[in-house]
Amino acid sequence: MSDIVSSFLLTQVINYGAPLFALTLFLGALGLPLPGSLMVIAVGSFSQQGYFSWTQMAIIGLLSAVAGDAISFSMGNYGKSWVQKKIAASPTWINAQESFQRRAWLAILLTRFLITALAVPTNLIAGGSGYKFQRFMLYDFIGEATWIILYGGLGYAFGSQWEVLSDFISNFGGLVFGVVILALGIWLARNWQEKSTQTKQPSL
Amino acid sequence: MTKKHMVTILLILAGIAIILFFGSGALRAFKHMDGHGPFDDGPFDGKPPAANQADVSLIRDWMTVPYIAKMYQVPPDAILKGLEIHEKDDEDKKLSLKQLNEKYYPDQEGVVLAHIQSIIQAFQKQEHPPHFPATPIFTSTATP
Repeated sequence: MSDIVSSFLLTQVINYGAPLFALTLFLGALGLPLPGSLMVIAVGSFSQQGYFSWTQMAIIGLLSAVAGDAISFSMGNYGKSWVQKKIAASPTWINAQESFQRRAWLAILLTRFLITALAVPTNLIAGGSGYKFQRFMLYDFIGEATWIILYGGLGYAFGSQWEVLSDFISNFGGLVFGVVILALGIWLARNWQEKSTQTKQPSL
Repeated sequence: MTKKHMVTILLILAGIAIILFFGSGALRAFKHMDGHGPFDDGPFDGKPPAANQADVSLIRDWMTVPYIAKMYQVPPDAILKGLEIHEKDDEDKKLSLKQLNEKYYPDQEGVVLAHIQSIIQAFQKQEHPPHFPATPIFTSTATP
């Protein structure tokens, strides 16, 4: 299924260029399961072959990805009142919110180009937790610029061999995502173990 | 066992499964990258087109005729003529090789891609294009 979507989008980006590229990145930033990283690498390669202007595509891609992120942040912000009504008093939510506020900049940066599968959830959480919009946009812009320059630049450098690189990058992104999930599980297990030790101690 | 414990165990198991799945994929892709490096000179490997160095195995079924024509420096009409597509339909230039195959040769899967590979090779050798359908030279297996 994803191969069919990728093939279709690659054909259309050849035919329609910048508007189609912008639309793909914009919708991907809103949460639609589209192959954004593959498109950035491919467009980098097409630019190397003289099919597109690299600078034009980079600017358009960056602006559309940032616009999509701003809207998904706003969606999270819109849902904030609902979240506050439901779970605002929960200590777990307060704890998670404080923890996110401390490390939000890192989460926003890394989910733009390294753990892209978590980009949309991060936008929604940032919006829903009351993170400052200007600050979000600053880290978002830096992260998306890194994504476009790094992936697009690699596509440009690999030229017609870009598919080999894209295969590696998509698997590597999945691997990092797995490490994050495992680390979260281990962190929860350690927390749970520490709490159970603390509750047992008074009885000793 | 509480709900929290279940979630923790599920996260650890899912993390391990995802790492194994994508880790093996990343390793396979990394091994495949051997011999493919940055700053390769495209399908001609740095040599002029007339030297017949075009690597036609890079042609994929999502590509369009104008894109292939630019990539291999061959006139798009020469490719369409070689495919025996004589309609003056500009829409054909926006179709992928897979769509062209489905439109003009629905009973012969992959024949358009294989024939374009032989047209490009003949063009680089400065020979007459082969008669349709040509014997497939490469069968593309890689997908994006």
